[in-house]
Amino acid sequence: MGLKSIAVVALALLAGCATPPPEPGSAASKVLATGPIEDLAIGPMRMARENGFLTVNAQLSNTDTRNKTLYYRYLWLGPEGFPVADAESWKSLTLYAQQTSFLPAIAPVPQAVDFRLEINTP
Amino acid sequence: MYARISLLALSALLIGGCANNTSPVLGSGNISYGDPKAVELVTNEFGSTDLQMIAESMTRSLAQSGVLKGRPVVQVYDVRNKTSEYIDTREITTSIKTQLMRSGTARFASDNTDLQSQVDQLKLQNQSGLYKKSTVAKTGNMIAARYRLEGSISSIVKRSSDYKDVFYKFSLQLVDVESGLAEWMDEKEIRKTTER
Repeated sequence: MGLKSIAVVALALLAGCATPPPEPGSAASKVLATGPIEDLAIGPMRMARENGFLTVNAQLSNTDTRNKTLYYRYLWLGPEGFPVADAESWKSLTLYAQQTSFLPAIAPVPQAVDFRLEINTP
Repeated sequence: MYARISLLALSALLIGGCANNTSPVLGSGNISYGDPKAVELVTNEFGSTDLQMIAESMTRSLAQSGVLKGRPVVQVYDVRNKTSEYIDTREITTSIKTQLMRSGTARFASDNTDLQSQVDQLKLQNQSGLYKKSTVAKTGNMIAARYRLEGSISSIVKRSSDYKDVFYKFSLQLVDVESGLAEWMDEKEIRKTTER
């Protein structure tokens, strides 16, 4: 054995502990966090097309025992995965302790086929 | 010793002078461009974020409602300011118009601010005798609006020793000009609180 083999085994174990990337198509894969998201659980998201416009609803839960203020906005993507509209304004959301809230949104243009949810927790 | 210090000072000056030319910026560095989409919390009066939030939510709700089938012509009226603050409500309607145009769901007739320039231009083309007849826009062909869009913004301000709370309510409705019926209506509520 030796120090080298122990180091290799330790590295392999740590690599196993690293968070795997979210599965494509899952709710987590649609979230773009501008920093670490603490005490916030991203729940299921619903996508639908109503009257030609993409509509989205995302569930967000505050898992902390204190109120939490965060900022969010949606990014609307076209078929190639690039934005089809100007960036939205950031919106402020206050979640009470243990509260679950829903973030409904409508795409600004009919060409949007996908979205990303940008979240910033100060 | 004196020569060594002068040499050190001179080299520091030269290096310092060279370091400032790495970015294409002219100025002393205390001014910078900000993010126009950032949340503005400078004061709790009506601000840029409120304008953006209102325009975004109203236009998307209207565009997605399905009322604007076939890109009808809409006449936009000024938003009535029922608050005690100065708010440039025309900018709210301009943002709403711009975003609706981008969504491709509506066309706009000349509103009360543009109508005078529209009439002046038509008169100039038809009556001045300056323009080639085949290129002149004929009078009597303007398209009348099918809907009119009007709204209002009001506020409720409450103060105590610890808090100042301002609640804004923006309402917008789409009315069919011929029947007088409101075909669509929505509102946006905003609360801004200052803790002293």
